[in-house]
Amino acid sequence: MKLTTGDLKKIRFFDHYTDKQLETISKMSSLKEFKVKDILFEQYDELSEVFVLLEGSLSLGISLAKEKRIHLGSIVEGQLFSWSAVFSPYISTAWVMAMAPAKVIAIDAKKLNKEIEKDCDFGFKTMSKIAQTISHRLSDTRFQLMNQMML
Amino acid sequence: MTDVKNIYKPIKARLTEVIDESPLIKTFVLIPEEEFSFGTGQFIELSVDGIGEAPFTPSSSPHVTDKIEVTVMRTGYVTEIMHNLKPGAYMGIRGPYGRGYPVEAFFGKEVVILGGGCGLAPIRSLLYALEHIKDKLEKVILCYGSKTPADCVYKPLFKRLNSTEKFEAYRTVDKPDEGWDGSVGVVTTLLNKIRFNLENSIAVVCGPPIMMKFGTIRLIEMGYKEDQIFLSMEKNMSCGLGKCGHCMMGEFFVCKDGPVFTYRELKNTPDIWK
Amino acid sequence: MQYLSIKKEEWDKAVEQLLLSYTIFAAVDNEFGIDYELVRPENIASISYNKAKPATSLKTFFLPVKENVTSGIPLKRQRIIIGAPNCDIQGLKILDEIYLDKDFNDISYRERRENTILISIDCFVKQEHCHCNSYGIRPWSDADSDLAVIRNNDLIVLRINTGRGREFVSQLAYVQVLKDENIISEIEKANSKAESLLKESNKGLPDYKATGIIVKNAGDEIWRKYSAPCVSCGACATICPTCSCFLLIDKPGFEKIKQLDACQYPGFQRVAGGEDSLGELPNRFRNRYMCKYVWKPQKFTSLACTGCGRCIEACIGKINKNELFIELAI
Repeated sequence: MKLTTGDLKKIRFFDHYTDKQLETISKMSSLKEFKVKDILFEQYDELSEVFVLLEGSLSLGISLAKEKRIHLGSIVEGQLFSWSAVFSPYISTAWVMAMAPAKVIAIDAKKLNKEIEKDCDFGFKTMSKIAQTISHRLSDTRFQLMNQMML
Repeated sequence: MTDVKNIYKPIKARLTEVIDESPLIKTFVLIPEEEFSFGTGQFIELSVDGIGEAPFTPSSSPHVTDKIEVTVMRTGYVTEIMHNLKPGAYMGIRGPYGRGYPVEAFFGKEVVILGGGCGLAPIRSLLYALEHIKDKLEKVILCYGSKTPADCVYKPLFKRLNSTEKFEAYRTVDKPDEGWDGSVGVVTTLLNKIRFNLENSIAVVCGPPIMMKFGTIRLIEMGYKEDQIFLSMEKNMSCGLGKCGHCMMGEFFVCKDGPVFTYRELKNTPDIWK
Repeated sequence: MQYLSIKKEEWDKAVEQLLLSYTIFAAVDNEFGIDYELVRPENIASISYNKAKPATSLKTFFLPVKENVTSGIPLKRQRIIIGAPNCDIQGLKILDEIYLDKDFNDISYRERRENTILISIDCFVKQEHCHCNSYGIRPWSDADSDLAVIRNNDLIVLRINTGRGREFVSQLAYVQVLKDENIISEIEKANSKAESLLKESNKGLPDYKATGIIVKNAGDEIWRKYSAPCVSCGACATICPTCSCFLLIDKPGFEKIKQLDACQYPGFQRVAGGEDSLGELPNRFRNRYMCKYVWKPQKFTSLACTGCGRCIEACIGKINKNELFIELAI
């Protein structure tokens, strides 16, 4: 299902992009839906899309051995995930599973990278948002770690 | 000398109800024997006769004046004995003390509340106070995290808030149990969900020190200014009056200059999250 | 400046007479030095004049180590305290700011302050660690005690400082206006000499404000070094004229006992959840200096250290804060 700039404007993640840039993103994006227990991707999968969760709840985790899934935490609405799709070797660091029916914006990573190279302003904004996502993920992980240590 | 109130003498309050919120947490419903009122965010020194005293922020609405509710977690000697009290017992109340939430400063604003663990007790009082003036507010968003689903006190609160105009409430837990179908992770992740107008927003943070530290850092990263963030600080207290020195945090007496501070006031004070 | 005088033997008789209507404490020479005693006819002759300083500060008369603050017994009689050096007189100012705060007035403290006549002495002789001058305090009081008594041979010279002092003296017989300029000049010379002695002895010591700056900026190593001999006995805080932190202890009947406490005791800031911001010794040691020289000055106008030097005398670990400050000041 296709998305409009109006749809994207409703999501905080897409703040600060110009209307033209949002139009470009909407052309390379689609809306995908998942059912409970659907696996969006596995750890070590090659990724071709960057995702932003629109509705629902997803769980992110790692696998120590086959079938032994460790849930690390939820991805909440408005969060970006599958950022590894933007950086070589485009391999996922974790698996993501739907815990409730979910609606996700899927952005074609190859087209996104082309636009990043073409439009500096777009590239800077996008990379900043990805950097911030990873920074927050790291900070939240440290928060989680400190909580565990205090127990 | 007798015309001046003795600042160390409590007023008596009768315990009328004990509500079991969780294995470690109970809410005491008290009827003070003298007229008593408090501002939301202020605290009282609650005592058990002859045993000891501890500071608590009432969790009831400041607009209900015939009774007050205090939510107590069993953590040490005094709270253990408090948990054994039955309705009909008398407790002592000194207060209200301190600087509470400056609710008038929230008029016209979007109030984002970041809470964790036992911090929900003072937050509930604030939510009641904000509900009372909701016509004067833009919106109120609660983001709350607890260790497990069972650790969240006042579970019905979330449903009620989500069906109240201008209020939104979100929950997450660190460790889910079998029946949990909500978010898992630290409370800062919930901030990704919310839509707010930064220029017109203020943030209130209340919970364990680690949560307050990471929460404040995240809010600053999101663009909140230091005087837009209100923190509810906790310290070992004895007198509650800015005299005994136990609650000193840098040059501040948390009991008198706080417990509510803006981040701007505290940012140069070292070790506030210790 | 009004000077009066009374013969020493008349003064001693007057003090004995005052015992009928006042409770009197005076600094008395004893085998260990000078300290306060409850005055009785037998020890009036041993009252100490013209020298620093009683081992105990004035704090103990206004903030007892332990007192019931909910059904405290008010003072039975008015009190007179004879023999306070100016450092202790000045030390009361910060206690006044804390305990006579307009929002929360400690009525027990107030009653004691209002019903006590303070008679100071001039220090013509200093003790080893006296350094009041470094913090702008002179070794005599011409303003804040009700009156000062100075022994000049067989005369007691009275310097009247307040209206209450004047009223008090008016009830004594045989008091005359001191007209002898020589005696006044002798006293002023002795005051100056004491000040010079102090200045000489405390040459390298930074003043109060400068101390605040160097304490604030000091690194961890110096606190570790100086706190190494500390055993957290709390003697420094107990003996200090301006340290007044306390603990409230609950007694049946919703009564409260107020007991002096100290940030130097481990667990002072420990919360039930286990966090303890002063749990580590170097941090705890540093806290007292930060409180005295950095934080209290931000909240109060009075000095939180009057340079009496008792903390240095009392320390079991022989820690000398002035050595610390001089080292930091280099």
